[in-house]
Amino acid sequence: MVGEYAANFSHVLLMFGFAIVAVGPALLISRMISPRRRSNPVKFLPMECGQVPQGEGRTHFMMQYYSYVLMFVVFDVMSIFLYAWGSTLLNLPKTATLPIIAFLGIMFAAMAFALYQSKRRNIW
Amino acid sequence: MSAIAPKFRFSYFLKSVLDNVFWIVTLFTLIGIPLVMILLFYIELPVINGNKLLDPYLALTTLADPSRQIPMLKSIIHSDFFRITAFPGFGFAALLAAATIFIERKMLAKLQLRVGPFYCGKVEGILQLMGDGLKLISKEIIIPAKADKPIFWAAPVLFVATAAAFVSLIPVASGGWVVADIDVGLLAVFAVIGFFPVITVLSAWSANSKFPFIGGIRALHQMVSFEIPLILSVLGIVILTGSLNLTEIVQSQDHYWWIVFLPIGAIVFFIAILAELERIPFDLPEAESEIVAGWLTEFSGMMYGLVQLGSYVKLYAFAALFVVLFLGGWHGPMVWPPFPEEIIQNGISMGPITLHLPGLPLLDQQMLNDVLWFVIKTMGVIFVILLPRGVFPRIRIDLLLHIGWYKLIGLSFVNIFIALGLLYAGVLGPGGIL
Repeated sequence: MVGEYAANFSHVLLMFGFAIVAVGPALLISRMISPRRRSNPVKFLPMECGQVPQGEGRTHFMMQYYSYVLMFVVFDVMSIFLYAWGSTLLNLPKTATLPIIAFLGIMFAAMAFALYQSKRRNIW
Repeated sequence: MSAIAPKFRFSYFLKSVLDNVFWIVTLFTLIGIPLVMILLFYIELPVINGNKLLDPYLALTTLADPSRQIPMLKSIIHSDFFRITAFPGFGFAALLAAATIFIERKMLAKLQLRVGPFYCGKVEGILQLMGDGLKLISKEIIIPAKADKPIFWAAPVLFVATAAAFVSLIPVASGGWVVADIDVGLLAVFAVIGFFPVITVLSAWSANSKFPFIGGIRALHQMVSFEIPLILSVLGIVILTGSLNLTEIVQSQDHYWWIVFLPIGAIVFFIAILAELERIPFDLPEAESEIVAGWLTEFSGMMYGLVQLGSYVKLYAFAALFVVLFLGGWHGPMVWPPFPEEIIQNGISMGPITLHLPGLPLLDQQMLNDVLWFVIKTMGVIFVILLPRGVFPRIRIDLLLHIGWYKLIGLSFVNIFIALGLLYAGVLGPGGIL
């Protein structure tokens, strides 16, 4: 039963694998037929529009709007959990909708508070 | 500035070509043919005509007898391998992606009063894409010195593979023409979509360059912000259908498309897919006037080509998902002509020879009609996705996040309440008016 259920997903993995098998050789062929002469260190510098790059590429970076990424962690899970309710709604009694609406109200309040906090730039 | 290398001689060129041909023929005869012969006896071949097993010798006779090819072709068409490689799977998606690139370039040129690709292939530059592919594959791949090489090499391939995994979930025609028919297909779609920001950020981080890094961070913000409206805007359909299976969602739109009842959800979903695809007006991760090419800056040669292939396969998959969810999938009036009866009855006569082909038609009329309507609708949606590129400017990142978090999420909740209202007012759903 469980194996049967998992076997349905195997086609997705097969497709994933087939795409790797199909397009991987393109990189290999390109590596084989493309010219690879005239190596010099300037060629392998990171692209910075002609400037000589300074410092590392992987630096500390002031990641603005970080609050949205934090909010995503909460509300993405919430929206997926709503599917568990939505897909079985036709089999549920109508009174079972009220607690969900209350839950949505709570999440709305939480989202409003989080959005208000995300606007306060001085704390981020 | 000569285009030909200084030591070029035509005879040298011919000699190198003939050398390659000689080695290929030699190696194939000595290694390839014995290998094929050995392998053929171990491969399990399909059963044809009930009890007769297809062995290699029978397979060779089909070359001479067309009436034996048809059962073989049928068994190939209905195999998993064909589904994954060719029809609802990778080949079909790649073909539509190539068509999309050509349409985009010509249409954008027409919108901006240019000519677009013109010379390659005589007719309206139809071979331009092939030329670009040959150019990209013959260019050197340059990797920045301090890049994290395994991740950097893997990122384009994984991008294409993830887009292909997305394609595998899309049902194309009735009668099970889908690679992976999963009960929770819609959730599987969201799971696959969740891999794109990870690949983007990993490739941006591994390049050890500043422009890809900034582009990757922007892509992360954008994809993450628009994933929630994308997920919530489809919930209305799930409420009305009661199923997460994409095939059942299409079958539920037999009479009415969901865009008629849930237009707000359709609009939110469309805007969210524009942002997920990084297309104008939301192409901040690849903003060429600010951060060279965003997270694609360090990709060169065929790696860039693969990322482009992946992004267009993704474009096809999202457009097909829009069609499946909102535009009724494959439903449409029957316009495909039926297979001519006299060929089934009398066979094809060419001069003195009459060819009887039992087992025709290869594909039934319903399926071909479904595919026709599906492709027409998908190309229409792709056209509408491409259209803003000729018109709109790019918007700022704070406006983008504001649209995603304040407006689209609010609208998608409105959409959910519309769906609930339609269900509880007795308009739709089991026992409803419609």
